[in-house]
Amino acid sequence: MEKNKYFRLIGIFFSILVLFFILTFSFNINHNFSENENRYLQSFPSFSWDSFTSGKYIKQLENFITDHFSFRDFFMGIKSEVEILLGKTKINSVFLGSDEYLLEDYNLPTNTERFINVLNSFYLRNKHINNNLMLVPTSISINSSKLPLFASYYSQFETIDEIYQNISFASIDVRDTLLEHNNIYPMYYRLDHHWTTYAAYYAYVSYCEANSLSYLSINDYLITEVTDDFNGTLYSKTNIYNYQPDSIYLFTPKTQTDIKVEYVKGEEVITSDSMYVYSYLETKDKYSFFLDNNVPLIKITNNKNNNNKKLLVIKDSYANSLIPFLTYNYQEIHVIDPRYYKNSITEYIKTYEITDSLFLYNMNTLDTDTGIYSIN
Amino acid sequence: MVFSSIPFLFFFLPLFLIVYYLVPFKRKGIMWKNIVLLIGSLIFYAWGEPIYIGLMLFSSLVDFYNGKMINKYWHEPKIKKLFLVISIIINLSLLGFFKYADFIIANINNIFNLSIQPLNLGLPIGISFFTFQTMSYSIDVYRGKVNYEKSFSTFMTYVCMFPQLIAGPIVRYETVSEELHHRKINYSLFNQGVIRFLQGLFKKVLIANNIGLLWHEVSTIPSLELTLVMTWLGILAFALQIYFDFSGYSDMAIGLGKMLGFHYLENFNYPYIAKTITDFWHRWHISLSSFFKDYVYIPLGGSRVSKIVNIRNILIVWLLTGLWHGASWNFVLWGLYFGIILLIEKFVIAKWLKRQNNVVKHAYTIILLLIGWAIFASSDMLYPKEYLLTMFFGFDRFISTKTIYYFCSYFLIIAIGILFSTPLYLKITNWLNNVTNPKLKLIYSLIFIIIYMLLFVISVAYLVSDTYNPFLYFRF
Repeated sequence: MEKNKYFRLIGIFFSILVLFFILTFSFNINHNFSENENRYLQSFPSFSWDSFTSGKYIKQLENFITDHFSFRDFFMGIKSEVEILLGKTKINSVFLGSDEYLLEDYNLPTNTERFINVLNSFYLRNKHINNNLMLVPTSISINSSKLPLFASYYSQFETIDEIYQNISFASIDVRDTLLEHNNIYPMYYRLDHHWTTYAAYYAYVSYCEANSLSYLSINDYLITEVTDDFNGTLYSKTNIYNYQPDSIYLFTPKTQTDIKVEYVKGEEVITSDSMYVYSYLETKDKYSFFLDNNVPLIKITNNKNNNNKKLLVIKDSYANSLIPFLTYNYQEIHVIDPRYYKNSITEYIKTYEITDSLFLYNMNTLDTDTGIYSIN
Repeated sequence: MVFSSIPFLFFFLPLFLIVYYLVPFKRKGIMWKNIVLLIGSLIFYAWGEPIYIGLMLFSSLVDFYNGKMINKYWHEPKIKKLFLVISIIINLSLLGFFKYADFIIANINNIFNLSIQPLNLGLPIGISFFTFQTMSYSIDVYRGKVNYEKSFSTFMTYVCMFPQLIAGPIVRYETVSEELHHRKINYSLFNQGVIRFLQGLFKKVLIANNIGLLWHEVSTIPSLELTLVMTWLGILAFALQIYFDFSGYSDMAIGLGKMLGFHYLENFNYPYIAKTITDFWHRWHISLSSFFKDYVYIPLGGSRVSKIVNIRNILIVWLLTGLWHGASWNFVLWGLYFGIILLIEKFVIAKWLKRQNNVVKHAYTIILLLIGWAIFASSDMLYPKEYLLTMFFGFDRFISTKTIYYFCSYFLIIAIGILFSTPLYLKITNWLNNVTNPKLKLIYSLIFIIIYMLLFVISVAYLVSDTYNPFLYFRF
């Protein structure tokens, strides 16, 4: 080393870089939310002897330091760039597909049997109403042709078949319609894990056809682009910043509607005449535009419909963009997110004289989300 | 705390170094730099292991006292020996209790069909390193190889010194005793330390962690999906991961040592260019193999005994080497596997091996090493068996699209790993030093320095992104 006097610069440059990052760190200390990652950053931990000896205090302190490190998003972007240079086509369990499609990997499901049991015991308690199940494959299944060369994934279709064959519900199969219409409109966002409003519409049509309900044709809707700047969850997971953002479309029936929505968040009830929350379009979390993100309980009343049919939807966030279409067919729609709503659903059905139920889940949350397993 | 982390790189290390450089070495009879180093090391250890710090202090106290007593009764062999025996018994009991108690209980339960409750003690970080260090001190004092240490705080500084505390190398008192009392600290040494530390950081964060992901994926997929090619790819990934991880830690330790004014011995010497397994073990984790050689093999008589006793000695050493790596049967098997290969190389095929050309020698060594890693990599005894069967006989499941996908995703990083397991880096710097045209030398050197800084920024990017960053030595 000593033979090259220039190498003496390395120690100086290294020290300058380290001191620079320490200085900029102090400007970041007051941030407490990461918009990009959509999570609260670790706050400065409070000291207690127990948390110290158990190692929890130190762990939190380390997370605090890493979370508040300067240029976090920039560094995560660098890491992704390097991974791509190294020939990786999968970052943080997300495949980098063709046409700037990010496709979240799907792992071997482990809770299929448990889910079947939950549904069947629900059915036994609520045979008197019309029960429906809609399982929605995620983007990787429908866009599998866009996967990188040689990439493989577990088939969601096999799991869907297994569940449909083992339950007494009416099963709404949306696979064919999604595959068929994917060539005309994108059925999934490229940078987010949700399906598009177009996909939700065609799935809604499948639901209506299975239940012999009438529905509006796509030409009876006014379709508007509410944003063209949607960088969703997969964007944040991969930290690839140079892909074109997604657009979100809104379907409004051309006929006059009269909707009342009650968002029940614990003790607080917010009443609105819209199923859309425009303020979310100004944030990063733009999909929450539909039905205000994940509210434990929502009651929607269509004042122009007196058919006395009352639908209960038990769901994950995929349903949020589909539920608005259903208001055409039901006088009341009650929406429960079992991750946050912990009371008895069977009681709820009795109290509100529910006539129909729809369980709507995408294949990823179906296996990873534990809310559904505790419904009663 | 581990070196390859944001809190260490940007908080502990700079703060510590500033204080360390500011205080005088010795004033009014107090060794200030040693005291600062000791306090820093205790904070470093307590960061990850607040409770077991007492254990390390206890171990230091025992051997400090033993060293003193051995010196005091230098002319009374029996008493002198008694204190040596005390040191060995206490250190081995500590190690045995915290590292092997549950393993022994599990085996007793198995054999006698009992259900004794395991103790479930967490393994104190670094215990295998600091007990060996303090023990070697007492033995060396006894053997008259080193003078006993008169100051307890200086002895503690030696035992607890944070660079080598948690993942080695095993630094003997003899290596640092001079520098514990007088050492030079200057920019040139700091600069060398930074360069060495950065090399280790790049090895760990950029190469080992990245390649390790492939092994992580291969070892967690259902065994029905393993293919012959995939098992070779996976174990190659593990071999590279453990080399770059472990030697990266050693580089970081040696580099930090230099920043503090200490010169540690080298711990790795391009082990994968070895031409025989015997050669490999002269190049791999040198501080451990030389420890077993000096404190077990030679006291047992080494090779200056009958062939039978020599074979026994070799097997004992390798049984212990295996066990040192973790309390589990696969490590025992791994140790004996190498013991037997070394015996065969020594007594059976020595001449045959010599006659072979280099390609054959390298292939022979690498294949045996990969088999060894397959035994080492998983502590579940059934898994290595299945894995090895697929490696050698899985022709019915030769390759799959997943295998090809892994190959494409990891090809480049594996190639980089293989290239840098050879002395390529050394060749580059030598070539750079010998550029005679001063202008060219300046330009090349600047490019070289920019690459260093870029790699540092990329390493930070990996650390900030909270990616796969395992600590592999929690079983040691």
